[in-house]
Amino acid sequence: MISDLTTLLFFPGGLSMLLAGMAFTWLDRKLLARLQNRLGPRWFQPLADMVKLLAKEEVVPAGVNRLLFVGLPVVALAGALTAVLYIPLWGLPPAASFPGDLVVTVYLLSLLTLCTGLAGANSGGRFSLLGATRTLTQLFAYEAPFLMALMGPALVAGSWQIALITAGINGRWLLFTQPIGFLVALIGLMGKLEMPPFDAPEAETEIVAGALTEYSGRGLALFYLGRSVEMVLGLTLVAAFYLGGLSNPVAFLLKTLGLLLFIAIVQSLMARLRIDQTVGLWWRYGALLVLLQWLVLWGGRWL
Amino acid sequence: MHTNEHTQKAETFIVPIGPQHPALREPGHFEFTIEGEIVTAASVRLGYAHRGIEKGTESRNWVQNLYMLERICGICSHIHATAYCLGVEQLAGVEAPPRAQAIREMVAELERTHSHLLWLGEAAHEAGFETLFMYAWRDRETVMDILEALTGNRVNYSANLLGGVKYDVTGEQASKIEQGLDYLEERTRHYLDVVTSDPVFIQRTRGIGVMTAVQADRLGVVGPTARASGVVRDVRVEAPYAAYTAFPITPVLAQAGDLEARFVVRLRELFESYGVIRRILANLPPGELVLKRMPRRIKAGEAISRVEAPRGELFYFIRSNGSDTPDRVKVRTPTLCNMASVLTLTVGRHLADVPMILVGIDPCFSCNDRGLVLKRGADHEHWTWDRLRQIGLDYYAGERGSGGVGGTSISPAPLPPCPPALLTGMHV
Amino acid sequence: MKIVTMLKDVVRSLVKRPFTRPYPREKQPAPERLRGKLHYNPEKCTGCCLCSMECPANALELITLDKKEKRFVMRYHLDRCTYCAQCVQNCRFGCLEMSPAEWELAAASKEPFTIYYGNEEDVATVLAKHTGTDAEPPG
Repeated sequence: MISDLTTLLFFPGGLSMLLAGMAFTWLDRKLLARLQNRLGPRWFQPLADMVKLLAKEEVVPAGVNRLLFVGLPVVALAGALTAVLYIPLWGLPPAASFPGDLVVTVYLLSLLTLCTGLAGANSGGRFSLLGATRTLTQLFAYEAPFLMALMGPALVAGSWQIALITAGINGRWLLFTQPIGFLVALIGLMGKLEMPPFDAPEAETEIVAGALTEYSGRGLALFYLGRSVEMVLGLTLVAAFYLGGLSNPVAFLLKTLGLLLFIAIVQSLMARLRIDQTVGLWWRYGALLVLLQWLVLWGGRWL
Repeated sequence: MHTNEHTQKAETFIVPIGPQHPALREPGHFEFTIEGEIVTAASVRLGYAHRGIEKGTESRNWVQNLYMLERICGICSHIHATAYCLGVEQLAGVEAPPRAQAIREMVAELERTHSHLLWLGEAAHEAGFETLFMYAWRDRETVMDILEALTGNRVNYSANLLGGVKYDVTGEQASKIEQGLDYLEERTRHYLDVVTSDPVFIQRTRGIGVMTAVQADRLGVVGPTARASGVVRDVRVEAPYAAYTAFPITPVLAQAGDLEARFVVRLRELFESYGVIRRILANLPPGELVLKRMPRRIKAGEAISRVEAPRGELFYFIRSNGSDTPDRVKVRTPTLCNMASVLTLTVGRHLADVPMILVGIDPCFSCNDRGLVLKRGADHEHWTWDRLRQIGLDYYAGERGSGGVGGTSISPAPLPPCPPALLTGMHV
Repeated sequence: MKIVTMLKDVVRSLVKRPFTRPYPREKQPAPERLRGKLHYNPEKCTGCCLCSMECPANALELITLDKKEKRFVMRYHLDRCTYCAQCVQNCRFGCLEMSPAEWELAAASKEPFTIYYGNEEDVATVLAKHTGTDAEPPG
């Protein structure tokens, strides 16, 4: 019982995950800054942001559904933190595991985006509404290719259970056998986290802050935390599936940080895609290419 | 049909951009009616940064005005001062020494360099290309440092004087400038390569906001915006001022008229600027920097001074009644001429393209906001102060006239070329 | 067609020092021509008032105590000054100059922004005259 609570609240879930999320967010910002020849924030910046936001008043706009407005950020963060349990963090086996948990995890990870979209639609502001439309449009764009890309390793291992998949991969670097799946998974993760160039849903020069325009204080902090946690989860998942598994904490750190550097470079290299261009990119290239890889994998198995 | 129209009207979704919006660095208000992501109508309201500068000139003497007018724009400050100085010198019947004129031109071209690099960063930022933004602004520091070393200030250089300039170029500075230009030239070449070959960036610029030469002519656009549509409109060539006869430039043209062309024109203009600065440094005419005697009272008369600001033609009308203060100074900045094009070009485009198209004209709202157009039908008449005041009082009392008294309003419909009457119709 | 055009810049930046200057920890030397705080030397002044007359910001007040004895006091309003150097240009006797070293002029109160230049006793005279009525009309 006590060990369950510890797992849930402190390690590997809960508090440690929030701290890890902030650390990764800081690293991402710092790397991006250095790539742009800037100084970047100091190490405590995300923590300071969170403390400040949590201490601030949460302004609830008139005419919104109050329960939804306040509840959605909580659900979003809760979804991300629940997903922690099924993912092999820190190089340890997942805290919980059952057949088919990969699908559940992917859905839990989508909860954040879904909540963001709902929050935008609920806020009633014009920028929020536009942002919500774009967030959900983008969700439909990257979600299927992302899921398909995560299924590649599942096909190899012949299981839907994350623990079994990592065991089934057995230290093989699927990055080399399924390069398309790896790329689509990683870039899909960037789309999920609304990182540039997929930041059309929160393009500040067009729609201010997108779906979260009306959010301030606690709600905004929770959404940000949720996104930070998802970044760590996503990177871990991709590293576990494609970079030969995470057998120990050192491998975990090296592999996830390597992926972080890679996505920081991708972020720095591109202009923002328009939402129609994002959708086009995912369905025209992302989905088709993954499908092609699937066929190759399947064919390879039957031959 | 009627009900159909009605339901359509009920569904109008207007996205307000401004007066406070992250896409705008200065206050201006745009309303874009959108259907899904497509803009179907656009309107603008300007005047939020109205500072009463033109009226202010009437209570300051000729010299004091130089520094106030320099502060109309923070980016193209020198060119405002130059336009004013040239106008006043024309009224006084004097001409600044050739060395002063050459230095004026050089500072103006350095300023253009800084303005265009600033714009490049700004435009990249609107496109979400933060890296290009950061690099462009980093490299812009080079030209800012040059200007600071040359004149002693980064922004309002105050290099001009009535009848000359304040600062000379020493040999040491000349070599520093040359060095800086070498670096900038290399970087500009790189950025030109980026904006013409980066596939993601091109997706956001190529074929977007296309303005044909005919359209450009009809909308009365000026400066690089016009030149990107293949319209040769450059005061430096049409009516050379300062030292542009001795150190001419070639206007840079592009035919495509889209956003990419505007990037290309502005970046290629930088090479022209670098070239002309180098030529001036190599052949700086000897002589005085400033006239020995500049009259304190300027002869009565009127003068028009036109110069090419980084954003396009800058127009100064100056009237003197023979005293030590001007009777009237009228400024028309290029942004006002270009604003109508934004409204025309955004219709039918994606909302995501709107900030790009807006930034494509390199808008500068504070420069722009000195006018209040009073439209009563089609007549443009002269208004006396008393009458204007009365109209203002009536307006704020809620008695809005049928014609409407608003901020500078520009309709997005096909616009006739800016008639001179419109200029006189505008008042401080 | 290139896929990415700025890869070289970006990768190079990763190993380069950031361009951001760590002001105020490290200060850059200001250029010689920088227009900083104005300094006035009453020795050569003739009291022609050309400096204050054409000051666009009315930042200068030349108070003449005795023109024959050449007793002048300059009251300089640092907070109004636009640092245009028109006064320096106007002064034919070289009494005025702008310091390139003094440019960090921010202060938490208004007092440091009014500066008196001149002989000590002259300044004292002017200050004595103004005690109690230190709120001179602006402009």
